[in-house]
Amino acid sequence: MSFLRVENLTCRFGGIVALQDISFSMEKGEILGLMGANGAGKTTLLSLIAGNVAPSAGHILLEGERIDGRSPHRVNGLGVARTFQIVRPFAGMTVLGNVMIGALYGRGRTMSLRHARTQCLEILDEVGLADRRDLPAAALTLAGRKRLEVARALATQPRLLLLDEVLAGLNASEANDALDLIRRLRETRMLSIIIIEHVMKALMRLSHRILVLHDGKKIMDGEPAEVASDPRVIAAYLGEHAHV
Amino acid sequence: MKERALTIVSIIAALALFVGAPQIVNAYWLGVALQLLSGIALTQSWVAFSGLTGYVSLGHAVFYGAGAYVMALLWQSAALWEILVASGFTAAALALLIGYPALRVRGPYFVILTLGLSELCKYVVIAIEAALESSGRLLFDTPDPVFLYYIMLLLAVLATLLTWGLARSRWGAGLRAIREDETAASTVGVPVTFLKIMAFVLSAFIPGVVGAVWVLRTTFFEPMQLFSPTTSFTIVTMAVIGGSDGAPGPIFGAAFIVILSELLWARAPQFYLVLLGILLISFVLFIPRGIYGQLTALAQRRRA
Ligand SMILES: Nc1ncnc2c1ncn2[C@@H]1O[C@H](COP(=O)(O)OP(=O)(O)O)[C@@H](O)[C@H]1O
Ligand SMILES: [Mg+2]
Repeated sequence: MSFLRVENLTCRFGGIVALQDISFSMEKGEILGLMGANGAGKTTLLSLIAGNVAPSAGHILLEGERIDGRSPHRVNGLGVARTFQIVRPFAGMTVLGNVMIGALYGRGRTMSLRHARTQCLEILDEVGLADRRDLPAAALTLAGRKRLEVARALATQPRLLLLDEVLAGLNASEANDALDLIRRLRETRMLSIIIIEHVMKALMRLSHRILVLHDGKKIMDGEPAEVASDPRVIAAYLGEHAHV
Repeated sequence: MKERALTIVSIIAALALFVGAPQIVNAYWLGVALQLLSGIALTQSWVAFSGLTGYVSLGHAVFYGAGAYVMALLWQSAALWEILVASGFTAAALALLIGYPALRVRGPYFVILTLGLSELCKYVVIAIEAALESSGRLLFDTPDPVFLYYIMLLLAVLATLLTWGLARSRWGAGLRAIREDETAASTVGVPVTFLKIMAFVLSAFIPGVVGAVWVLRTTFFEPMQLFSPTTSFTIVTMAVIGGSDGAPGPIFGAAFIVILSELLWARAPQFYLVLLGILLISFVLFIPRGIYGQLTALAQRRRA
């Protein structure tokens, strides 16, 4: 049985078909890269898996159990955590306070504030926000807020982590550190990860497999080398003149 | 540390003052103290829900009125304590009924909906009373005002402890997350609907009991008066002026409004309402954290 299985997933927003008949599966411990131009439907796919949006058709199964159509907090309770591409910090709370919500209510929920605090201090250390823990989240830079998204998701103790363009806005060396962090997290926490990233090189290096979306449809999925040399992907990416 | 000691000492002093008040002051000032305690109890309850979640309820008068109505109906047919508890539970049950549909909408829609539903309840009670051919209910042999004063003191203390405890609990953290970003909160596991409804129910209980005590004090139940939206407006004003992110704010807010109304109400009633409006708007625009929030911010800045 696959760890995550997506079957014939379709999502419409009014007249727009954001995703059409998407099927794929992933194994435990895998890093799956999501590729596709702006508007391809990548974020929507994460929203469907995390329960923020209900699919118009199709199923999502986590270890054989249907999770589509459940509310986000239940999906999180089963071990799915996401970050938001357009960050959504609890702006009026401190950085630590933000992360503590994940520890208090997520899959690994603890009833003790003190316990949650200890866990979260470790996570903040891990993502490099420890020195800013008492600042209001609103005071962070964009790069800081992206890390906060990751920290808050990690605090829920997920099994499947969905990362939506968390490297955006980082310079080259910061991006490298972040990639190392993601690899390390996968190993130490035995995470499965779906990651959306625009920096192609980074995505190729990090992912075990890559799924390519174009206009809401799945073009292909496969190993990075396969994907990079696939004519359909090249056509979709090189744009207009390939379309004739 | 020093600040903490100071806080504890002033809380004990204030409590002693309130406990001793009936022996010290005359009936008039005891009435003012009763106003203050009821303001604290109501505003604390409101803050426990609206302050923490950001869902501004403009309908808390309905819980107060419902409690008063239960007292008016049951007075002399059951023990005082039993009716007080029944008043609280009736208000809480009403909150469950109202909260379920109302908490599906946010922002201005929620504000208008709570106001609308509370007005609806008022007219339902008026219709029932008209059908029963009752034009107001007089309550006989009500308890001594000093006794009622002590019940109100107990309610104010309970409401303060409730908000204080909630604000620093896991539940309170979840409610604040809802206030900041409900979608993000549910995505990290916060059961938003459940927490909101439970907090709404909790915040209705004490106002129900407060309404029951007030109708014993005034000895007359009249729906237009006891379900008046003015009660809701006053609660919101006290919370906004005092600060609505925890237990200290409502105490400042209630004290401010009760003192202001003592100074102005008798002398210049029109001016009082105008001033109240101006104050409310100025606080919302310029001091949204309220008196207490502003004081702590100033203290922090001085320390930094
Ligand atoms: N909530 C929404 N309402 C309406 N349309 C939406 C909504 N979310 C996404 N879309 C549309 O769905 C398509 C896919 O968007 P998205 O998943 O954000 O793409 P990507 O993340 O790949 O850039 C776009 O055309 C977008 O405009
Ligand atoms: Mg996107």
